[in-house]
Amino acid sequence: MTRALSAVRSNFDFLTESQSDAVTDYAAGNLSPAKHALMACVVELNPLIGQEVAFETHVAASLMTEIRPVPLSPMLIGDTLETLCYSKTSKLPANDGVHSDIEMRLAPKPLRDLMDGSGLRDIKWKSLIPGVAVHDVLGDRKTRTGDRMYLLRAKGGMQLPEHSHKGQEWTLTLKGSYLAGAKSYSRGDLHIVDESTEHAPYVEEGEDCICLIVTQGQLHMKSWLPRLLQQVVGI
Amino acid sequence: MTLELYSPMEDYTPHQTRERAMTKKPAPRRAKGFSPSKKSISAAKRDAAWLHSIANEQDARALSELFEVYGPKLKGWLMARGVGNGTAEDIVQDVMIKVWTRAELFDPEKASFATWVYRLTRNKWIDHKRKHGRMDVRDPELMKVIADDEVPSAEQEFMTQQSSDVLREHIARLTDAQQMAIRMAFIEFKTHKEISAETGLPLGTVKTRIRSAINALKSSMARQQEKLL
Repeated sequence: MTRALSAVRSNFDFLTESQSDAVTDYAAGNLSPAKHALMACVVELNPLIGQEVAFETHVAASLMTEIRPVPLSPMLIGDTLETLCYSKTSKLPANDGVHSDIEMRLAPKPLRDLMDGSGLRDIKWKSLIPGVAVHDVLGDRKTRTGDRMYLLRAKGGMQLPEHSHKGQEWTLTLKGSYLAGAKSYSRGDLHIVDESTEHAPYVEEGEDCICLIVTQGQLHMKSWLPRLLQQVVGI
Repeated sequence: MTLELYSPMEDYTPHQTRERAMTKKPAPRRAKGFSPSKKSISAAKRDAAWLHSIANEQDARALSELFEVYGPKLKGWLMARGVGNGTAEDIVQDVMIKVWTRAELFDPEKASFATWVYRLTRNKWIDHKRKHGRMDVRDPELMKVIADDEVPSAEQEFMTQQSSDVLREHIARLTDAQQMAIRMAFIEFKTHKEISAETGLPLGTVKTRIRSAINALKSSMARQQEKLL
């Protein structure tokens, strides 16, 4: 407990303002489903944000007592009790949180679940430009509005196409690392870019970089080639 | 503040509540200071006992009692968020079934039951939003996920063991403006943009106030911890 507290104190200033806002909105349940899913992944990989989420979820839960309770329909509890399953053995599935397979472990559990448990192994990547491929996680590429969630894989040493977006862009790095501005982002880092910012991240030399990304609305590619290709791959 | 506040009287077992209602005894005054009150300790013990009976003995009566205490609160939270009566009950029912099947995963060392069940409810509700429009989905079954608990590994070892009572006392010691900001963030159920429009404060100011109020709350709890050492 003591150790945990001092860790929290010393980490006060480590979250950026937009990360803090994301944590609060996540704890309160204010995020869109796609961003909520991304944050669930961040919580698994990022202990600092995970601690903050735990604290603020506790705050949100404690404040629930200030909301007036609403009586349940008379039959609800009885009806629910009738649907319960009884079994002698453990009702939980075998431990699916731990995977020895490296490629499975690369994807946080909430993402594996979204992808039908398959992790990052059997993804059908679609090429965006040479060296950069994407995979639409939710399969809602035809949606004009709303969030898009996709995986992006880029070769080490790549300069990604310069782009901007209507809303924020949330990126969770799963593998490898990239530079944006003066900062390096690697596994577990949550990078939130505001809509005004035009940016062109640079993938650091070495292994491929794989990120989980949520954007609101379509990306605006600055040059024509990626702009054309994004129509094909649907990001 | 447009929010209708409810005077907190949770944490009593239904039995105690009923008894007090009948005898009209005033609620026991909460001791000053920050040590967890007997009330919250007994609530935590009571919750842990229920969960233990469910996990080890498949005791439906324990679930029924727990349902009676937490069901109306969770339903109230959902309806305050604009969820309709029927849907709110569907979600609460799903959550209670999850409590039944997952009771053995509950670890009182890591979080209070109230926090655990809040998280299940919040996630179930977001799951519901996803399934019903707002976002096209290839296969709704793929989306069941996030409704499950998030992997708690990173969430361990934190001051979440502090009882809700203690936390609320810390909140009560903040300035009025800070308290308001905390409530805005967690129980007003409005977007920051809506709050900004209503209060006339710039969006950035709303966010800054919420952030600094949360930090003030954390500092307050950290100071208490220091004093105890």
